[in-house]
Amino acid sequence: MKLMHALPVSAYTSQEWFDLEMKHIFSKTWQFAGFVEDVAEPGDYISVQAGLNNIFIVKGRDQRLRAFHNMCRHRGTQLLRAVGKTQKAITCPYHDWTYDLEGKLISIPKREEEFPNLKGQLHECGLNLHEASVDIFKGMLFVHPDKDAPSIMDFFGEVEPYLGPHVVEELVEYSENEEEPFYAKEIQANWKIVVENYIDHYHLAHLHEGTLNMYDHARAEFGWVGPHYWFYEPLVPEYEANVEKISPYVLIDSVPKDKIGAYVPWLFPNLGLGENEGAWSTFHLTPLAPDRTLVVIRSKMMNVSEWEASAQYMKSGMQSFWSHHGGKGKYKGDPNTDPMASGDFMAEDVYACEQQQKSLSSPLFSVGAEAQRGEYAVRKFQMVVKEWIDQHKND
Amino acid sequence: MSQFHKLQVLEVRRETADAVVVSFDVPHNLYDTFNYQAGQYLTLRFQLGGEAVRRSYSLCSCPHLEEPLQIGVKRVEGGLVSNHINEELKAGDWVEVMPPDGKFFAEVQAENYKTYYLFAAGSGITPILSILRTVLTTEPRSYVHMLYGNRAQDSIMFKSELDALEAAHADRLILVHSLSRPNSSWSDLWTSEADKPYRTGRIDAEAVSWFINTYPPYAQNVEYFICGPGTMIDNTRQALKAIDVPDQRIFVESFGGDPIDTSATGVANAQLTAHLNGETIETNIPEGTTVLRALIQAGKEPPYSCEGGVCSSCRCKLTEGKVHMRNNLALDDKEVEQGYILSCQSIPLTEIVKVRY
Repeated sequence: MKLMHALPVSAYTSQEWFDLEMKHIFSKTWQFAGFVEDVAEPGDYISVQAGLNNIFIVKGRDQRLRAFHNMCRHRGTQLLRAVGKTQKAITCPYHDWTYDLEGKLISIPKREEEFPNLKGQLHECGLNLHEASVDIFKGMLFVHPDKDAPSIMDFFGEVEPYLGPHVVEELVEYSENEEEPFYAKEIQANWKIVVENYIDHYHLAHLHEGTLNMYDHARAEFGWVGPHYWFYEPLVPEYEANVEKISPYVLIDSVPKDKIGAYVPWLFPNLGLGENEGAWSTFHLTPLAPDRTLVVIRSKMMNVSEWEASAQYMKSGMQSFWSHHGGKGKYKGDPNTDPMASGDFMAEDVYACEQQQKSLSSPLFSVGAEAQRGEYAVRKFQMVVKEWIDQHKND
Repeated sequence: MSQFHKLQVLEVRRETADAVVVSFDVPHNLYDTFNYQAGQYLTLRFQLGGEAVRRSYSLCSCPHLEEPLQIGVKRVEGGLVSNHINEELKAGDWVEVMPPDGKFFAEVQAENYKTYYLFAAGSGITPILSILRTVLTTEPRSYVHMLYGNRAQDSIMFKSELDALEAAHADRLILVHSLSRPNSSWSDLWTSEADKPYRTGRIDAEAVSWFINTYPPYAQNVEYFICGPGTMIDNTRQALKAIDVPDQRIFVESFGGDPIDTSATGVANAQLTAHLNGETIETNIPEGTTVLRALIQAGKEPPYSCEGGVCSSCRCKLTEGKVHMRNNLALDDKEVEQGYILSCQSIPLTEIVKVRY
């Protein structure tokens, strides 16, 4: 069996592995579902795909979130679509079976005529919506398909001290187009290739030599807490000395001066965070197929006026720092067609991931060597994936 | 369990003009017997006027800290025991005490990630304070949102202790005082309602929903603890139920008042008069049957659709008698006040029920 580092190559190419991961990883972990403000008011709901389960979150009149499997108990029809607002009840479009916001079945048309066996109180007939779990961590919503899921803090509590000091709740979302996330793209690579690129320290100074050189890769610190990876690197000294002027975005004020830098953790299994001096982002992966992965980035910034934001941007633009930091492609070429000439680190990462995926089917493919510090995280992540499946396949 | 033990009073501390805090010394051999959960109470026995009298008082101390058992006792007008404790009891006295008991408690665990809503009024603070302190000191990730009702500033028990907790746990504790008759001062003339360090009014339905909407829960495993006089409990519980807080998340400790009975069974064979499509129908309602079903069984065709209390097709107006609606997701409070009912959910509470469609 040919190995990547700790996993077989087939884990990146086969439907069998993909199904195994869907079942035992993505359907048995707390899954990112959005930001707290996505479900702001009583009656607001969102639905999310979390592994094999489609789950909706709805806010009750008591301001508490509830999560249910988005599936009518009659014949399984999905009840709610995407995003919306419901009043006091949820009615299935197919036959008008109706549930209250506690998930209890409260109405079936022609009940006495058609379902004479359903006697007594409807909500005691065992046909209430399947409950799921929902909770909040660092301003983010997470769902778990199991109604008795282990506490979200059992999962994230230990890694929390290693995350950025950003008070996420004070920040506001930023996007070019209001109804769309900051960035969304389908990448032609296995989801683990994308994760491994995210946590690979070795590549930062090379693939991104012209795009991420405002951060001091040599002084990076990183490690693991449970299944989660944490990473921090400071700004390069020249940037750090004048960060108020040089930063293109208004500095996030909940980050103390001596803690400014880039926090780039990976929360198992499929959520990266990018927490830096001026922006706070989620980097969420949805595996679509063994060789296709959807990445969605949502980004937040300081809650300042447009004037203040553009004043900062102008000020930053006048700094000579940016003439030799960031925004510069590794190779010369057309920035619009060649990702390696784009000066955009995301485009560089996507390119690297897709180029690697392409080689996995080559008969000659093998991992030649492994950087003992810079790529240790890649091996470790593969071990975590393997262990998680081993531990949960008999649940 | 009903065994009394003699415990010595360590201290009687005056808390407000009409309340004291009594501390008891527990000897080593009774440590396990007097172990308790935050929220439980002690039962004390005194011989007063030649008679044995018992009273139960909630513990306000924290079971997870090394501190003596403490109860808070507020003087009740004409109250035999509370006045005795407030006036006569002193350090060194021996009191007969039963081991801690009660179902009103928080299951505090270090790894919990919860939001606790605590509603207290007057001396109902005692078990709430115990829960508050225990949660804050034992569950570093949990949040507490507390609404505390009193008559005026000077009747707030444990004020300095609460202030200290607020300062020490500003990131996890929200504490709002609600005063029904606040002492006013000159500066109130130029202080707006929003700037006052308290809310004016009793803890009623409006206060409860305002509080929850203003301070929504962060951690989503939420529990609600209520302690105070009977009306305050009823109001708070009803307000919580009105916004769909599940029963199993609400914990209540009543100081004296009986809990209200919510299990309406209905009157058997009530007489129903219904005005429907220009016709006056007379029939009776078999036990456990709704107004709507009674009409259908009488061969009539009243309007209805979902029969689940959702769509309001079956709405009619009650012109005489009383009914209980099992479920109402369609009518708002105003309609209910005007006498509208959902006939598919209504069971009679009186011998005679008259409705008009």
